[in-house]
Amino acid sequence: MTLTPPQLAALRALLDRLIPADEFPGALAAGTDTFILQLLTHACAAEAPALAQGLTQLNAEAIARHDHPFATLPSAAQDALISDLEHNRTTTAWPNPFPAAAFINRLIDLAAEGFYADPANGGNRDGASWRMIGYDPLLPARPSAR
Amino acid sequence: MSAAASTYDVIIVGAGLGGGIAAGVLAEAGQRVLLLERGRDLRYRDIPGDHLRHHRLSLYGDNTTHEPAGHPRVFVDPQGRRRTVLPHEADYHNNALTVGGGARIWGMQAWRFHPDDFRMATRYGTPAGSSLADWPITYADLAPFYARAESEIGVAGDHRATDYAPRERAFPLPPVPATPTGAWLARGAATLGWKTFSPPLAVNTEPYLGRAACVQCRQCIGFACPTDARNGSHNTLLPRALATGRCTLITRAHVARVLTDAAGRVHGVEYFAPTTPESAQIESRKAYAPTVILAGGAIETARLLLLSASPQHPRGLGNHSDHVGRHLQGHYYPVVSGLLPTGFQNPNLGPGVSIATTQFNHGNPGVIGGAMLANDFVKLPIIFWRSHLPPDLPRWGLANKKAMRELYLRGIDLRGPVQEIPSPDSRVTLDPEVRDRFGLPVARLSGTTHPETLRTAEFIRARAEDWLRAAGAERVWSAPMDLRLSAAQHQAGTARLAADPRDGVTDPFGRVHGHDNLWITDGSLHVTNGGFNPALTIMALAFRAAAKIAATR
Repeated sequence: MTLTPPQLAALRALLDRLIPADEFPGALAAGTDTFILQLLTHACAAEAPALAQGLTQLNAEAIARHDHPFATLPSAAQDALISDLEHNRTTTAWPNPFPAAAFINRLIDLAAEGFYADPANGGNRDGASWRMIGYDPLLPARPSAR
Repeated sequence: MSAAASTYDVIIVGAGLGGGIAAGVLAEAGQRVLLLERGRDLRYRDIPGDHLRHHRLSLYGDNTTHEPAGHPRVFVDPQGRRRTVLPHEADYHNNALTVGGGARIWGMQAWRFHPDDFRMATRYGTPAGSSLADWPITYADLAPFYARAESEIGVAGDHRATDYAPRERAFPLPPVPATPTGAWLARGAATLGWKTFSPPLAVNTEPYLGRAACVQCRQCIGFACPTDARNGSHNTLLPRALATGRCTLITRAHVARVLTDAAGRVHGVEYFAPTTPESAQIESRKAYAPTVILAGGAIETARLLLLSASPQHPRGLGNHSDHVGRHLQGHYYPVVSGLLPTGFQNPNLGPGVSIATTQFNHGNPGVIGGAMLANDFVKLPIIFWRSHLPPDLPRWGLANKKAMRELYLRGIDLRGPVQEIPSPDSRVTLDPEVRDRFGLPVARLSGTTHPETLRTAEFIRARAEDWLRAAGAERVWSAPMDLRLSAAQHQAGTARLAADPRDGVTDPFGRVHGHDNLWITDGSLHVTNGGFNPALTIMALAFRAAAKIAATR
């Protein structure tokens, strides 16, 4: 999936607030943005245009409120905006049938799917989230099953 | 394939638990078996460990459906809206499409039904609008075949404690090890006066039948087993069948209809298969045998019976009294989540299911039947995130991330397969519009379970909450259930056993009424589906039917 530079910046900034870095890596360090772009290119390609439109609208919403696109807002303003989207409290007109809450809820799900699923999916680089929570599949190095 | 090779003693449709067992028993009895399986013979490496595409979370596909295109179903919701669904979507009610069937990736719970599960109508009466009925056989009829399944498939359990149903011998494998969470739950149950025990699991707790023991990995249900310690027909009866040299297994074979001769007698099947095993080119074939066994699961077996209508059987084979496809059922699963006390040391080892109670399978005030309750399999992180975080927690941000690391190893949940009260309106029919890649009408699923199921499920949900609270869970929560169609991996009921042809599809052995040579060995036969995982009952019925077929030829 190809996003415009403003859309991509909004996506990355959003992921950085949905699963932020603290003493453990956050979504961006784990590659969750890449996971989402891959998914929207293949398995969820039909969904991609609506999500891209949502990212544009996220920037429009940020500009309407703060005169700046989403990626350049302070963290507190970003978080407040995300909370408002969850409740469909918007300043601009979000297009049906993909209102603000549906958009942000889908991104919340996608972020977690990438970050907490298996590293082979691309959004949990080096098993960063699994190390954080204490999960290891404990698969034998050499499976004996045929 | 040459014309000469297309005649067999028996043709079996479906290489899951029921079909694989029938193949093993009959091939060893000297019969030449053709086993047709729509999936591939997937190896361990062919079934990806993808946490977003497996049989407990199939968001974007699943790990055993290698030909997702061209095989949709139609789902009609309770409001009557119909839509086309794909195999990985919940409303498709899929099972693993591979040699071995669902048992390649199952949770391995291998329960015998309770003796009263075979006499539900006698014990409880038949609620208005339901098709609750007794089985035409009793627990005692099935007990020797339960024992055979436990022995030849391999089931681990505690025979002294598993006493809700009479047993004639010990399990062949010692029970799964007790876990700290299991011990904690046992203490909680004891304070309520409930008896608990280690549940029977079809897993090698020690090496058995030439295969290794379970290594307690944490990627269990929904995935292939890395040590082949998960037991099913794929690593027992099916290899035995193939070892005789009398069983021909053809994969990627889609049976289009059961063939009947001019007199209406079953004499073979027509199927589509690749010209060579890995070819993309498909050809239509016919194979003939004096005996045909259907074991494609409750949805596809019903569809095949309906697709096989003939001048003598205009409504489909076995559909003389309009029971084919009806009474579709699975299990309602109330799930109750909670948090282990702060600081609880949870090693989180697989398979994870380690304690159960049958305290509430029957005799519950004001409701019909009940369910076994047990703890759950090792939880994948993404499933924990989606379904088992406290409901009042923010779904994003640092608070969510911190909760994941503080609560993941403290999560605990209980669940149980509630025995459904069947409805004749929960059913499989042929869709009049949507066709599969071969031009055949697809299965359409419609209706819901009977409302009495919901009342029992709510009762069981409350008992599961009682259990977690008594054990000392820091928090306990769950959500009420709604009325819907239920089938999924436990799909059953669509070709029910009946002594009288007016009351069902097959005779008490699984032979289709009105046919002396058409048999069924899958969950379709279940009149009711027990308050337990149904696989061991499918296996026992398959052993029983196959023994009967072997003896009558």
